[in-house]
Amino acid sequence: MTQITEKQEAREFHAEATSVWRITFGPLLWAVHFVVSYSATAVVCAKGGDVGVLRLGIGIGTFLALAGIAWLGWRAWQQWDTLRNRGWENDTGTSQDRHQFLGHAAFLLAAISFIGVVYVALPPLLIESCQ
Amino acid sequence: MYVHSRNALACLAAAFVLSACDGRQSVLAPSGTDALSVFDLARVMFIGAVVLWLLVGTLFIYVTRINPREMSRRKAEILIVGGGVVFPVLLLGALLVYSLPLMNAPRLADEGLRVHITAEQWWWRVDYELPDGTRIPSANELRLPVGTRTGLVLNAKKVIHSFWVPALGGKTDMIPGRETFQSLQPVTAGVYRGQCAEFCGASHALMAFETVAMEPEDFAAWLEAEARDAQPPATAPARRGAKIFAREGCGGCHTVRGTDAVGQVGPDLTHVGSRKSLAAGILDVTAEDFADWIGHTDAIKPEVAMPSYDFLPREDLAALGIYLEGLK
Amino acid sequence: MTNEHLMPVAEGPYPPTEAMLAEPVSQAEQERGKAELRAAWKTPVGWRYWSAVNNTEIGVWYSLTAFAFMLIAGLLALAIRVQLAYPDNTFLDADRFNQFFTMHGSAMMFLFAVPMFEAISILLLPALCGARDMPFPRLSAFGYWCFLIGGVFILGSLIFDAGPKAGWFMYPPLATKEEGIGPDVWLLGLSFIEVASIAAAVELIVGTLKTRPPGMRVNVMPLYAWYVMVVGGMILFAFPPLIAGDFLFELERSFNWPFFDPERGGDPLLWQHLFWIFGHPEVYIVFLPSIAIAAMIVPTVARRPIVGYSWIVLSAVGTGFLSFGLWVHHMFTTGLPQLSLGFFSAASEAVVIPTGIQLFAFVATLMVGRVKMSLPMLWIAGALAIFVAGGLTGVMLAIVPFNWQVHDTYFIVAHLHYTLFGGMVFPLIAGVYYFYPFFRKKLMSERLGRWAFWLVFTGFNLTFLPMHLTGLKGMPRRVFTYPESSGWGWLNMISTIGAFIIAAGFAVFVYDLFRSKKYQGVIARNPWGAGTLEFSHDVPEEAWGVRSIPYITTRYPLWEQDGLVERMDAGRFYLPDAPDHQRETMVTSVIDAKPIYVQRVTGPAWVTMFAAAFTGGAFIFPTFHIYEPAIVCAAFAIVCVMYWLWTTTARPPEHDMRDAGLGLRLPTYASGPNAVGWWGMWITMLGDATAFAALIFGFFFYWTARPDFPPEGALHPDGMWISVGIGLLVASWALILAGRELNSRAHVARARLAIALAPLAAAGGAFAVYLSVRDLDPTSHVYPAIMWALMVWLCVHAGAGILMQGYCFAGSIAGKLTPKYDADLRNVTLYWHFIAFKSLVVGAVLGLVPGWLP
Repeated sequence: MTQITEKQEAREFHAEATSVWRITFGPLLWAVHFVVSYSATAVVCAKGGDVGVLRLGIGIGTFLALAGIAWLGWRAWQQWDTLRNRGWENDTGTSQDRHQFLGHAAFLLAAISFIGVVYVALPPLLIESCQ
Repeated sequence: MYVHSRNALACLAAAFVLSACDGRQSVLAPSGTDALSVFDLARVMFIGAVVLWLLVGTLFIYVTRINPREMSRRKAEILIVGGGVVFPVLLLGALLVYSLPLMNAPRLADEGLRVHITAEQWWWRVDYELPDGTRIPSANELRLPVGTRTGLVLNAKKVIHSFWVPALGGKTDMIPGRETFQSLQPVTAGVYRGQCAEFCGASHALMAFETVAMEPEDFAAWLEAEARDAQPPATAPARRGAKIFAREGCGGCHTVRGTDAVGQVGPDLTHVGSRKSLAAGILDVTAEDFADWIGHTDAIKPEVAMPSYDFLPREDLAALGIYLEGLK
Repeated sequence: MTNEHLMPVAEGPYPPTEAMLAEPVSQAEQERGKAELRAAWKTPVGWRYWSAVNNTEIGVWYSLTAFAFMLIAGLLALAIRVQLAYPDNTFLDADRFNQFFTMHGSAMMFLFAVPMFEAISILLLPALCGARDMPFPRLSAFGYWCFLIGGVFILGSLIFDAGPKAGWFMYPPLATKEEGIGPDVWLLGLSFIEVASIAAAVELIVGTLKTRPPGMRVNVMPLYAWYVMVVGGMILFAFPPLIAGDFLFELERSFNWPFFDPERGGDPLLWQHLFWIFGHPEVYIVFLPSIAIAAMIVPTVARRPIVGYSWIVLSAVGTGFLSFGLWVHHMFTTGLPQLSLGFFSAASEAVVIPTGIQLFAFVATLMVGRVKMSLPMLWIAGALAIFVAGGLTGVMLAIVPFNWQVHDTYFIVAHLHYTLFGGMVFPLIAGVYYFYPFFRKKLMSERLGRWAFWLVFTGFNLTFLPMHLTGLKGMPRRVFTYPESSGWGWLNMISTIGAFIIAAGFAVFVYDLFRSKKYQGVIARNPWGAGTLEFSHDVPEEAWGVRSIPYITTRYPLWEQDGLVERMDAGRFYLPDAPDHQRETMVTSVIDAKPIYVQRVTGPAWVTMFAAAFTGGAFIFPTFHIYEPAIVCAAFAIVCVMYWLWTTTARPPEHDMRDAGLGLRLPTYASGPNAVGWWGMWITMLGDATAFAALIFGFFFYWTARPDFPPEGALHPDGMWISVGIGLLVASWALILAGRELNSRAHVARARLAIALAPLAAAGGAFAVYLSVRDLDPTSHVYPAIMWALMVWLCVHAGAGILMQGYCFAGSIAGKLTPKYDADLRNVTLYWHFIAFKSLVVGAVLGLVPGWLP
């Protein structure tokens, strides 16, 4: 039986807030990679830049995005903690399950974002011109 | 019709129908390089889609009807990871690698002839540009040499339209204030129908054109003829038609090269009688259809810019028809 | 020190122990609670019934209205099919045909698909969350009345032969140059409805985040709530670009500012970008809520919890993100660089993966469970068959060369109907059968349901399967006629016959929905044996939502928490009474749903209806280019909203604390991030900032797309006035912030001074920003026009900010706003954070960027 206070609530929220936001970090990195690649292409193609440099730049950006997502995925994997605590569902109303659930969701979103970034990097790999 | 060996395949590919493959405006009757490559791509995708659909359907029926008992959780997890992630990632990745490079060809063109096509409401201004810069204006019909990838420079006057000849290749929008580009490479001589694909107002449905793919030597001869001025009217009714044409001020909007008619508003009529269709692909090129069109433009093509000359006596309309039909 | 020390906090034991929950409630106590709740939640009777704001009334009106609009749009489709039944038909002329197909698409999308999701969510969400009502019931009512007025206005234009006729995506220049009022009806009428949609989305997000029952942590939330949150977020980021586009479009139509006119530097493609940045997420906004319904039905049918809960959350969130990277696949034929097309092709394929995971998680659940086929599940099965086919053609369409062939043909018509019927209509009908016992306390007929299913299912496939071939054989969409020689006649005839079979199926469904079910008697409370909270509802109906707000620790409480319903009924849980005879609900924390405070909920009112009517006037009069009455209406609408806020929201409570049950005492007031109002403001401002970002995108779009932007020798905004204007606006922000801090430290007089000076600074600032562009002619070129548009946007927002500051000042004087009870001031300050940020961006774009552009 605990006395709840707003202060304690605020502290807990703060501690967990990072992991709530973390579940969207993967997709956000995908979005940043996508927007930057698309905008750079739009500007280079419209204003007549060097497509080779553009493709190289997107390649470097892709590498960075993938590294970032992989790191997020690794953190989330640890939070999910599935090897020590085998179970997919994390379906009880305990703070441990909530914690692991957020880790699992963040991990899966990182995986999807990873695939998304790889897909979006295919066009600059295979297409050589703006036309 | 211009039956191509692929047409038979097309009919087979669309196995779920008793398709009458007339092939004049069909993706399934490809006669251009781009249309052929898309046709192959489409076949692969259709077969894949049907197989996948059947698999998912069978699985669903199996778990709900045939074997609705509890199955192991392990299998369910494998299904989510395998069916939801691994399999689609590989399949879609392969599809992207296959298809992305196919975008390139229609964006390039061989050196030489360029055709400028400008869409108006609801017809096509067609202008052949030779390598030396000479321009040969025409309208509502496109002629292309077989075997060459001819570049098309696309534009629009007032609203957005879209240029599309399904049998030869994909479509490209024509946007006011922007110039778009696409090339076409017919592989078989023939007449293919094209149509505006982007909604462009009241008579969007009535904005088509014929594309004639010709052997290179025939094309050269045709282009030379097209560059010439109009033939003077040969018969008495035709001469009467020419007079009415001048009297009614048709030349204010239309050009008939070699006469006083130099208007730029409507289609060039210099060789209108030699075209395969009238009024942007909706009427035949006969004296009767000409007369019908001039007398009832708005009934035939709602909201068209050309006024109806329904006040002209039938004989006058008939004479105009004979004159115009004679502009070979 | 801020005012935190002044505010009381929750006291008492939490979470409740099993012993506390097992303790019985005395009969007298139960009766007292029931009587008090009945008095507080009484639905008005007679003609006053229409002043109701409770989610159970609004939700029903909202869904029935959306359904009626859907039937009308369906009739338009039948007329379209008759016209196309055979070649050269003359049933409809070109003009009417074009009005009909435009309205069919617009109504299905804006008057049916999105509002229907919101309607059903308003109806269900509180029940799923064991809440008494939505957090802002009057906002739901306002949204409903706006929707009704707007929808009738838009559809009514057809009766006067004045409907829009440029297609539901209204491409300029065709739509900007169209004669008559059609495009204005579309733009203004739908902007009006979009605003209402965003309001509902804000409410749904806040409802999901803050009104879950105690103990319902994020990992045990019903999946439906997850989807509501994701879809609400998507609406928040997808609709604003369209509103920004509407804003530019209407400025061009009304005042001739050339945003889309290429002859004066504009570009028609900007509209296509803004429209589809909205339009593609829109498809998923329509699809996800329906999948959410499936996610509720499937576990019930399988009689076990969903398999892969985290996977479904992943796919909902992942789809939400990815769907914003697909918009250009509607523009593959516009001649963009092939590299750009490639990005969107790739992203369009990537989105297939989360969607597939979703479907496989359902199949996995069915696999693990013992399936008992029911009528709702039959419709879900039909949805699956149809949606998978639509998804597979979607995979094809994302492949650029194939898209170049079939774009704008009947293949697209087939594809989009497969995705929308499979992804929306079928699951929705499944949901109607499934939830009918919940909202009508009756069951629909099994036999009629099967008839309706087979008619709609066969009719659907007969109509749309052949269309794939019609498209491949070259038939473009949106043609009112086609020649005999095309060879499309027989395919179209089949489609037309199919359309009538669909209509027959819907007729059966509608009959079953409305026929009298008196003879049924009292039905079981949980006829499907479901595990989620909505089926703990009271039969016969009670207006209080839940008898007491339960403590939830599982995903399927009715299956997994023994004795839950009995304890809820006995009033063993939270808020089992209403001592003040006031409507209340419980507000909990975002992640772990710990109780924070008891929120006073507003009751029946006419003012929402008046506010909606005046807002309608403000949007509808400009359609006819009548501006004076529009301004008067806008003023009255503001007065109505102010009155409603002033009289019922964030008023200092009579008692600081309330016994919430189970020994817990909760505060009755909150301000700042604890309060639902603060969340409403924050979420609304995110959406507003998105619209603003769309305008800024427009500026840079012109720069990349046009060589003459800015044109040679163009007049630029005046730097001095920009500096003054932005400086004053930022000063106004600083003043209101200072006012908040002084007030919370109980320096009331100094706080009032700061709050009084703030609107003066804001008004001066807005005027100075106006002066900076005054000499530019917005009709001459798109460059001055976009400068003016940014100025107008900023000044309108500053104007709203001034009203809010004035409201706080009046509140302080009248004793509504005190150092302790300062929710209004905190919300207004939050609004001004956004204004300050926007001012700086506008200042940079007007004053600095033109000099930096290469």
